[in-house]
Amino acid sequence: MWGLCVGKSGRKETVLDLAKFVDRGVSVKLSGGRQVTGTLKGYDQLLNLVLDEATENLRDSDDPLKTTDQMRQLGLIVCRGTAVMLVAPTDGTEEIANPFLANETPAAT
Amino acid sequence: MATDTGLESLIDQTISVITNDGRNIVGVLKGFDQATNLILDESHERVYSTKAGVEQVVLGLHIIRGDNIGVVGELDEELDSNLDLSALRAHPLKAVQH
Amino acid sequence: MLPLSLLKTAQGHPMLVELKNGETYNGHLVNCDTWMNIHLREVICTSKDGDRFWRMPECYIRGNTIKYLRVPDEVIDKVQEETVKRSDRKPTIGGRGRGRGRAEDGVGRGRGGEGGRGGRGYQEDGAAGGRGGARGSGGARGGGRSGGGRGGASRGRSQ
Repeated sequence: MWGLCVGKSGRKETVLDLAKFVDRGVSVKLSGGRQVTGTLKGYDQLLNLVLDEATENLRDSDDPLKTTDQMRQLGLIVCRGTAVMLVAPTDGTEEIANPFLANETPAAT
Repeated sequence: MATDTGLESLIDQTISVITNDGRNIVGVLKGFDQATNLILDESHERVYSTKAGVEQVVLGLHIIRGDNIGVVGELDEELDSNLDLSALRAHPLKAVQH
Repeated sequence: MLPLSLLKTAQGHPMLVELKNGETYNGHLVNCDTWMNIHLREVICTSKDGDRFWRMPECYIRGNTIKYLRVPDEVIDKVQEETVKRSDRKPTIGGRGRGRGRAEDGVGRGRGGEGGRGGRGYQEDGAAGGRGGARGSGGARGGGRSGGGRGGASRGRSQ
């Protein structure tokens, strides 16, 4: 799919260069609601990812869309590219207090 | 050329969109593409409730992804301006069941 | 105006992205592609219920998980500028193409050039290019470069 995208648009670059995340901690959200963090060991153009020492952020049993602070160890895993919704570095990622005055923000200003 | 979805005629007109999560968004159609991604300018959401009148939430300039669009409709601005939204009571729409 | 052109123009601007799962991401758009995959910087992520918040230096979001994007109002005016620029450019490209046809004229000796100019219509091009090819290799080579002329070259061979 990614290959098609590159071919059709003539754009060589993907939006995000994952090379800079290799051997660094990344947090990955998967479609279906799972969230895993681990050290990025490899990736391909389809966004399949290899994560080492991966941990899954377990979810609320009542609401599977909510993550909790509980974790479980997964070890070395491959994340299927088609299921990857979001990739972010763990470095510098932290939970914070409400940074907005109200929950709904006029963000695009 | 490849834009015969019928949306071409609605460009720069006020349209009403029902999204898959049951929201009603009204705005001026500025553009669209093959995937029915839409550009809505000066848009606002109409939040329906059985307890209170229709609340209009200003959203501004929006790109709505085609995946998330249920219905696109032309809005008759004259008819619409005659509506008393504050007196309107309606059940909010439910999200699309996949 | 295409939604993806607007998005492209919004590069560097702050925006709000809501995903299909209800999470929202506020950040500056770094880059996007034709699949609406986006790269944001200085991001604040808000949970579906709006009760938890995370700050992340950057994040990559796959296009097909996006529900909508909210972009600053002024961005739409910038797109219009860019589309005007692009439509300005188009005729120059066409002009350049025709110019190249004439340049080939010189290389291909006389009539071969008609193949180049014929780029407007495939049939015409084929016939002219074919003739060019039959006459001299220079003309055939010139036609080949003008795209449609390739058909002309093969016709030349079949003749």
